[in-house]
Amino acid sequence: MTKAERRELQERQRAAKATGKTAAPPPPVNAKPGASRPSQPPTPASPAPKRGSQARGTAPAGATTGKGAKDAKSVAEDAVVRSRGLRIFSHFALQRTVAHAKGDVHPAIVHLGLMFAEFKVSGANARCIATLSVFKQVIQDYTTPTHNTLTRHLNTHLSVQISHLVSARPMAVTMGSAIRQLKLEISGSDIDLPEQDAKDALCHKIDNYIRDRIIIADQVIQETATKKIHDGDVILTYARSSVVENVLLEAWEEGTRFSVYVVDSRPMLEGKRLLSVLVAASIPCTYLLLPALGSVITEISTVFVGAHSIHSNGAVYSRAGTALVAMMAKQHSVPVVVCCETYKFSEGVQLDSFTKNELAPNGDLFSSFPLTRPRGSLTLQNQTNLEILNPLYDLTPPSSITAVVTEVGVIPPDSISSIPLALGRQV
Amino acid sequence: MAVSTSDIASPAQPGAFTTSSSSSRSILTHSIPEDEEAFSGFDIYDSYRRILCDPQISAPLAAILSLTELVEQSDAGTMFELVKALNDGAEALKKRVHNPIGLNAGSELFIAFVTLFPHESASFSELRTELVRQGQTYATEALQFRPKIADLALDFIKDDSVILTHSYSRVVMQALLHAHQRKRISVYVTEARPRGLGIKTYESLTAAGIPCTVVLDSAVAYVMDQVDFVLVGSEAVVESGGLINAVGSNQMAIIAKAENKPFYALAESYKFHRLFPLSQYDLPTHTPGILSFTQPPLRPAPELVARPSVSPETQPVLKSSISASSAMAGLLPPAPVQRTMTAEQISRNPDVDYTRPDLISLVFSDVGILTPEGVSQYLVGMFAG
Repeated sequence: MTKAERRELQERQRAAKATGKTAAPPPPVNAKPGASRPSQPPTPASPAPKRGSQARGTAPAGATTGKGAKDAKSVAEDAVVRSRGLRIFSHFALQRTVAHAKGDVHPAIVHLGLMFAEFKVSGANARCIATLSVFKQVIQDYTTPTHNTLTRHLNTHLSVQISHLVSARPMAVTMGSAIRQLKLEISGSDIDLPEQDAKDALCHKIDNYIRDRIIIADQVIQETATKKIHDGDVILTYARSSVVENVLLEAWEEGTRFSVYVVDSRPMLEGKRLLSVLVAASIPCTYLLLPALGSVITEISTVFVGAHSIHSNGAVYSRAGTALVAMMAKQHSVPVVVCCETYKFSEGVQLDSFTKNELAPNGDLFSSFPLTRPRGSLTLQNQTNLEILNPLYDLTPPSSITAVVTEVGVIPPDSISSIPLALGRQV
Repeated sequence: MAVSTSDIASPAQPGAFTTSSSSSRSILTHSIPEDEEAFSGFDIYDSYRRILCDPQISAPLAAILSLTELVEQSDAGTMFELVKALNDGAEALKKRVHNPIGLNAGSELFIAFVTLFPHESASFSELRTELVRQGQTYATEALQFRPKIADLALDFIKDDSVILTHSYSRVVMQALLHAHQRKRISVYVTEARPRGLGIKTYESLTAAGIPCTVVLDSAVAYVMDQVDFVLVGSEAVVESGGLINAVGSNQMAIIAKAENKPFYALAESYKFHRLFPLSQYDLPTHTPGILSFTQPPLRPAPELVARPSVSPETQPVLKSSISASSAMAGLLPPAPVQRTMTAEQISRNPDVDYTRPDLISLVFSDVGILTPEGVSQYLVGMFAG
């Protein structure tokens, strides 16, 4: 098949797509006589298998007659199949430019939304703290409309802000549990309190939440987890978790001498940031990408990873690649320790990382490719037959996790559900 | 039982128990350094050792009782001071005991109990006497745990069972003796080197009329096929649902798993310990000396041996002695060569090992028959609340 044919085919598909939207029958654009059949709008439902069998049936006979046509046909099928194959991931919230603010959105929220959308603020803890701090500002700037009360109206006002944030990037589990707590506080606040006092009380509650559930919790986790690092250990970690970073730094400060393998993966390469911090603290480090994991796993004493959230069956929802690391470690009897605050516990159960996920920013796919051609010509975007899939998270089954370090102690993943839920519900 | 409880329930006056201990257990008190006693007037290690002399009392219970005595003796005026004194006492005990795991479980339980104890008493001294009373009541009740566990285990022991057990455990003994009254059982017990406690089990069981055979620790895999299930005691049951027990339990569990035989652990609930070992080497008993390699003694340099001129007179002597011994070997039965480990070699070996939860079928305890996950949930529910 020639290049011209391929280009033609693409153009045709593009045209078909465009016309398909307006529901008008597609005019055969630039159709060569032999290629007329595949130029039919690629209706994704029934014709595909029929055409496939037809093509197979005519294959020996038509070998001489229309080679070009047949090739074009199979390519078209291919494109249809492939694009359909990827379309099943369409529920992963795609990279969206932030929708312009609808309703009464606070400027700080708009700013935060942009930060979220561009991954300037990422990480479950960082996002939760950022959200809560901005909410404090929102609450302070809020005035109760006449004929309404703060307890009743503030929640609806916040909902607008929240939906704006969600439109920028799906809500983190941590944010969800913090917001649930905040709304509970708002609806529970005293109706007779002067407005300013009520607002101050809420801000105080937010500060307490950040302190108790995140900052103090992290300190306790660090204390517990550093006890699991011994002299001469080789620690492996994947990507970057703020808790794991602090655990490693603290253990080093306490005088434990160990080395760290930082495993990282495209496209976000978050491990580089962790690496720079660890190297600055003069911890001996090795940096490798995920495919090299198999060759070093036998040398590892313990794997430490962070988590985005943890489900009630003990499955850990964390940066894509964590499951691979954990399973590989399990296979080699290396203990896998997850550092996770209790406010990251989510009550749902998820069985795979397909039902709910996000897409990571694409990054530069050619960053380390030997560039024999100018980079400008190496664009992969905007090609109809190509969709780049970078799921942001994956799900590690509880069977490949040895222990979860939380602020209430080290627990096996199966026992997550037995931590009293009151812990997350104290009013 | 009655005798033992009266023995534990320490006399009201502090003076009384020191005199009684010095008279009845003079050997033990003799071994306690004098300066320790001078330091606080009450030595927790002393009382721990004394309580442990009772054959019915295990390490966690002894820790609870000695901490109870500490509460009795302490002059703490506030809860904070008392808890601090308890923590210090537990720490002191831990430092002086070779293998502190069981003891830690007991002190942890008691300190948690004291901290969570509702303050209803009018005065602090009243609260303290109440705590002492509670501690002693618990210890008395705790002695009933073993018969209860034995009763629970009975349902799992079928008539004509062949049971494999490891070393010596009071709760396993009780379970076996209890089962013997109702059912025909026979028992394989490991020798459990280096302390050889398996022999103790063997003696007690044969005395009770239970058919029993001692097997080598290295013969566990050989005997496993003949066995219906494995029954072991425990030093502590940890938060992962795993087990800490006399060394050799882990390999027994692995072999049992490989042969698909149930592996049952018996543990009183005071042995449940908030500890999460990630591996064998993550235990508090692990000392750097364990498993270290000895530097092999420097051999004579090869050239010294090769050149006969260096020591011509020693070589014929050596040769003759060798030939003499080989000639003797042919004629006479060889003199029994003592191939045993030296104390130094033994010290490089661990006392206890950690059995992973996935190798354990069930844990029998006085709070019920639990799966390993159930143990961890029980512990999380008790301490993490």
